[in-house]
Amino acid sequence: MNARRALLPLGFFTVAILAWQAAVLHSGQRALYPYPTGVFEAATRTIEDGSLFAATSQSLLRVLIGFALGAAFGIPLGVLMGFVRPVGRAVSPIVDSLRSIAPIAWIPMALLWLGIRGNAALFIVAYAAFFPFVVNAAQGARLIDRNLVNAARALGAGRALVVRSVVLPNALPAILTGARISMAFAWGSIIAAELAMGIKVTSGGSGAVGLGQLMVSTLYVRRDVNGLVLYMIVIGVISFLIDLAMRRLQRSLTPWRT
Amino acid sequence: MTGKIDAQSLSKTYVSARSGERVEALQNVSFSVAPHEFVSIVGPSGCGKSTLLALVAGFVAPTSGRVLADGAPITGPDPRRGVMFQDYALFPWRTVLGNVEFGPLARGATREAMRATAHRYIELVGLEGFEHRYPHELSGGMRQRCALARLLANEPEVWLMDEPLAAVDLQTRNILQDELLRLWGDGGDPGQRRAVLFVTHGIDEAVYLSDRVIVLGRRPGRIKETVTIDLPRPRKALRNSAEAGRYNEYIWNLIRDEAARAIVEESA
Repeated sequence: MNARRALLPLGFFTVAILAWQAAVLHSGQRALYPYPTGVFEAATRTIEDGSLFAATSQSLLRVLIGFALGAAFGIPLGVLMGFVRPVGRAVSPIVDSLRSIAPIAWIPMALLWLGIRGNAALFIVAYAAFFPFVVNAAQGARLIDRNLVNAARALGAGRALVVRSVVLPNALPAILTGARISMAFAWGSIIAAELAMGIKVTSGGSGAVGLGQLMVSTLYVRRDVNGLVLYMIVIGVISFLIDLAMRRLQRSLTPWRT
Repeated sequence: MTGKIDAQSLSKTYVSARSGERVEALQNVSFSVAPHEFVSIVGPSGCGKSTLLALVAGFVAPTSGRVLADGAPITGPDPRRGVMFQDYALFPWRTVLGNVEFGPLARGATREAMRATAHRYIELVGLEGFEHRYPHELSGGMRQRCALARLLANEPEVWLMDEPLAAVDLQTRNILQDELLRLWGDGGDPGQRRAVLFVTHGIDEAVYLSDRVIVLGRRPGRIKETVTIDLPRPRKALRNSAEAGRYNEYIWNLIRDEAARAIVEESA
């Protein structure tokens, strides 16, 4: 039954791919329009020479470091803002105004301060990842049943244990939701940052080339539209896998949530 | 006269943060609870009975007056005064075992000791086999038992209970009342019993369980009368007795008019 149900979308997908291939081949504009077998060739070539894996892992590494930085600063600040009301009132206007600036709008500044190296991209990613952590951790820490805090205190818990055993677990589901958004933001802005940092890094012969930089060189040096599509597909697949992993993580870390 | 708990001329006025309006929740309330005594507080809604319990627990400070525990002023929560909440306030991220272990954990027990204590009290309240369930996987009655085990695991000298049976159905409530009496030591040596302050809106429940019932009036909350329930223990055979019925009726007559007014005012 399930196999049968898969038949219709699968069949349609095959037809669409074939139609795409046929349309591009008949147009005679192969340099301008990508086509399926071309994408496939680009995939085998970049997998064989290792450039796809190198660029993907470079971008992922930056995302993970930036994500970790965003979490390291964002979670404590958010919990503090949510749990200690005066801190929240003092800090949230600044946080709210800064977070309405799109992270990629910082790219020129980051390039100015940090140069056209990986650090600028790292800054953008950390910045993008920071705010969802702050906002969600603050909300998770603020929306707490006071009776739970009272219950812990009446059982003998001091301030540290209340924070560790009540405030943090209470905020955890919201923090993990924030982590999912952070990860999506981080992955989205790494590509933008690397695109902006662009080709100069590659001409410098640096090994630190991410997917975005690879796309720039593919566009301007190789002029390979099939390569571009390949990288787009890789970006999409990685986004999907990241979110899948984050949702798994969320479920396994908060088993009390139905 | 020093009891386990002494409330002296307690008043509590809340100031609404939004309107600045002052609400006098309690006015000049004095009472005491003897070391082995079961005292209930009943009254219509809005009489400040939950506020009274929060004051004794140390969650809030009185506007004037003071509460003493063993003769010393209460400045904050203390594990020697265990609290049971109306909504149980179980930690949703901890299993039954984790919840019951929390008190010993907070007081610095070793891993083995807190596990042993938790298992003992889980068994005592009849929750064995459910140790690894989360609160959302339990029925109302089981959550109530879990909250009771959590309270008992700290071996507090005073049990403060804020309408602990309000959220379960009638049959479950009757069963849990008997369980509570058994755990308190209703049929046993009076010297082994703990001091209990039990807030409820159920008059029959208060009469059935208590040595004394403090009847509060409302707006502002103040003591109307303290009724000594002179019924023998164990109480099990007396649940539907004529004597208990007379106490129920007497207390009901004390608060009926205000309870009726409360209904109208709450809906306004």
